[in-house]
Amino acid sequence: MSAPSVRGIGGGVLLGATPGGEKRSLHRRHGDGLAAAGFLAPSGVGFLLFVLAPAIGVILLSFYNWNLLSPPTFAGGANYIALFNDHHLLAVFGSTTYMALAILAINIAIGLLLAVLLEVRMPRWIRAFFRLSFLFPFVVSSSAVALIWRFLLDKDFGLVNYWLGFVGIGHINWLGTTQWAPVAIILVNSWKTLGFSILVYIAGLQGIPNEVREAAIVDGANAWTRFWRITFPLLSPTVFFLLVINTINAFQVFAEPRVLTQGGPGDSSRTIVEYIYDTAFQGFNIGYASTVGLTLVLLLVILTLIQFRLSRRWTFYE
Amino acid sequence: MKHSTKRIAALLVAAGLTVAGLTACSASGTTNTKASKTIDVAYWNYGSGAVSDNTKLQKGFEKANPGTTVNLTPIAGAGWGEYYANLATLIASGKHPDLTFISSEGVKFLDQNNLVLPINNYLKTDPAAKKIESDIAPGLIKSFSVGKDITSLPNAWNNMVIYYNTDLFKKAGIPAPDGTWTWDQFEADAKKLTTGGTYGYAWTGTEIFPGVLPWVANQGGNFVSSDVCKPTADSPAVNKAYTFLDGLIKQGISPAPPASNDLITDFENGKIAMFGAGRWVIASMLPAGFKSFDITRFPTGSTYQTVVGASGYPILKSSKNPDLAWKFQKYAASAAVQTSEIGTATAPFDGIPSLRSVAAATVAAGIPPANTKLYYGSIDNYKALTPFPAPAKYTQFESAILQDTQLIFGGNDTVSQGLSQMQKDLEPIVSCTS
Repeated sequence: MSAPSVRGIGGGVLLGATPGGEKRSLHRRHGDGLAAAGFLAPSGVGFLLFVLAPAIGVILLSFYNWNLLSPPTFAGGANYIALFNDHHLLAVFGSTTYMALAILAINIAIGLLLAVLLEVRMPRWIRAFFRLSFLFPFVVSSSAVALIWRFLLDKDFGLVNYWLGFVGIGHINWLGTTQWAPVAIILVNSWKTLGFSILVYIAGLQGIPNEVREAAIVDGANAWTRFWRITFPLLSPTVFFLLVINTINAFQVFAEPRVLTQGGPGDSSRTIVEYIYDTAFQGFNIGYASTVGLTLVLLLVILTLIQFRLSRRWTFYE
Repeated sequence: MKHSTKRIAALLVAAGLTVAGLTACSASGTTNTKASKTIDVAYWNYGSGAVSDNTKLQKGFEKANPGTTVNLTPIAGAGWGEYYANLATLIASGKHPDLTFISSEGVKFLDQNNLVLPINNYLKTDPAAKKIESDIAPGLIKSFSVGKDITSLPNAWNNMVIYYNTDLFKKAGIPAPDGTWTWDQFEADAKKLTTGGTYGYAWTGTEIFPGVLPWVANQGGNFVSSDVCKPTADSPAVNKAYTFLDGLIKQGISPAPPASNDLITDFENGKIAMFGAGRWVIASMLPAGFKSFDITRFPTGSTYQTVVGASGYPILKSSKNPDLAWKFQKYAASAAVQTSEIGTATAPFDGIPSLRSVAAATVAAGIPPANTKLYYGSIDNYKALTPFPAPAKYTQFESAILQDTQLIFGGNDTVSQGLSQMQKDLEPIVSCTS
């Protein structure tokens, strides 16, 4: 009886001592449920129309051939078999994974480093300036960011190569070689997304009680020990959150390769999302694009499950 | 009772939102009930020029045909390929315009999907149309044809020519090219023009028409077979063209891909002495006050072929009012409309008029460059590249060529390796079986 009573606090069960009162309370709970359903309905409808229905649609389309303009024809498992004969797909998954892991590492490691540095003692206006500087790229449109970087990274007339020239580094063909094109995507995407990671890290760092740190100082722990023994364990849920979110985001990069390199040269900087887009809207092969999309979903589900499973070993909750 | 009311209210809200959502989703699919006097025209909204040109066309047609209404549907897209993808999405959503603006690159795309209504019957029976047709170079009509079916009367077009900076030529002591260049002469001049801060020649890496195609065409080659059913990227002619261009990069005469982000600006700033493009570039250069340029033919290889691309407003088979749609197409290609679009020396039209007579009027108007007569002259005096290399999956086709081209010119593949890979990549794309 105690458990339902506790759950019923919001519904007023504990307030109604008499049988009649209990009945009224139940009615009230019932009414609240309907009101809640009413309030949830817009989101529910939105979810059904824009998430669930398209998701089911993608699964269904993966069994069809459809070019948008002619009626779809049933293809059975042909699109799934085609996955194994698509030599571009493996290359694209390879380049996506390479870029995603690098973007993830930069966000997790450098994001943490910068967040910790921003938390050290400094005048407020300097702190505000740096926070704003790091966060600014995050709120700007990805396409706009990529467009600006396309000019900055121009091999012959770009500012980046111009500045590198002062330290004796020759003109790097950032966007035109298989070695540098993915590096350019990694740098530009990380520059854009790092602000979000820093913001979340700062929120996490500010949530750590000062008393714990002060106690460690009193105990004679140096800065390094305090970070690894106090700060990082208490920050581990934040790190885990960023790991999951950044993994999903890093595998869905689209605007930067689209604007900077069009996925090239070859497939060296092509991401899987760009490949899905090209298959659907350049090749007009909606069925196969849906099938490739499902492989990305599968990959992300597996990666997220692994992260959740492994997180038990290193995530510390107070 | 109160609870029932609440429940009903909640259900009504949910149902209302659902219906509103579904209605919004299906709004674009509503059919035209005023079919007899109304036509819907979809066009590529590539910028403010497209909006003003099409609005002018809309107003002009409505004025010339009292009681008619033209509804314009602007479709976004960074290039022709993206525009066609968005057009396909529009059609898939249930909206069927009566006419849609396309370029020659989109002819097969419409034809293979059985979307376009050929205008052959109209041309046979309409004397006014015959007059328009006779003033258009046959090569342009051909670029808008599939077999014997004519897709549309072209209202404008572009051909690929070399733009050269006259100041840089003077500075290097090179006489202005007269259009009789060979590839060797071109290379020698481009080499002389190449200095520390200037490339002799550059081409765009984002499109094949102003990029690699003219060189392939002038070796008598093409990327597709004569029936546009098979790729021919590994042919000797394509190999020869790519080897020549690769040589320009290796000698430092041309930049390695990707070429500059903004060829026009770099050309104006003297960072590039020559580049290939259509007439659309003068619509940027002349308003900016840059006039130190002229045009000439691409150098002759084993042959010379003009690379052309036209635009027009084909009628879709789904049109509720094909006769009125035909009237609009004819109006868009008419001398009155094309003459009104000529523009001025500081704000010129960004294409070449499809009518020979209007092109002559453009030359007479004195709009730069000095050699403006070459624009129309190149198709009147020389053979146009056929077949038009644009299979139904044009966007994917061009993208595959550009990807493999970048690997070759970036030094990742040899010319032969790269073209062999290009051939493999194009095989599933260039096909006549849907």
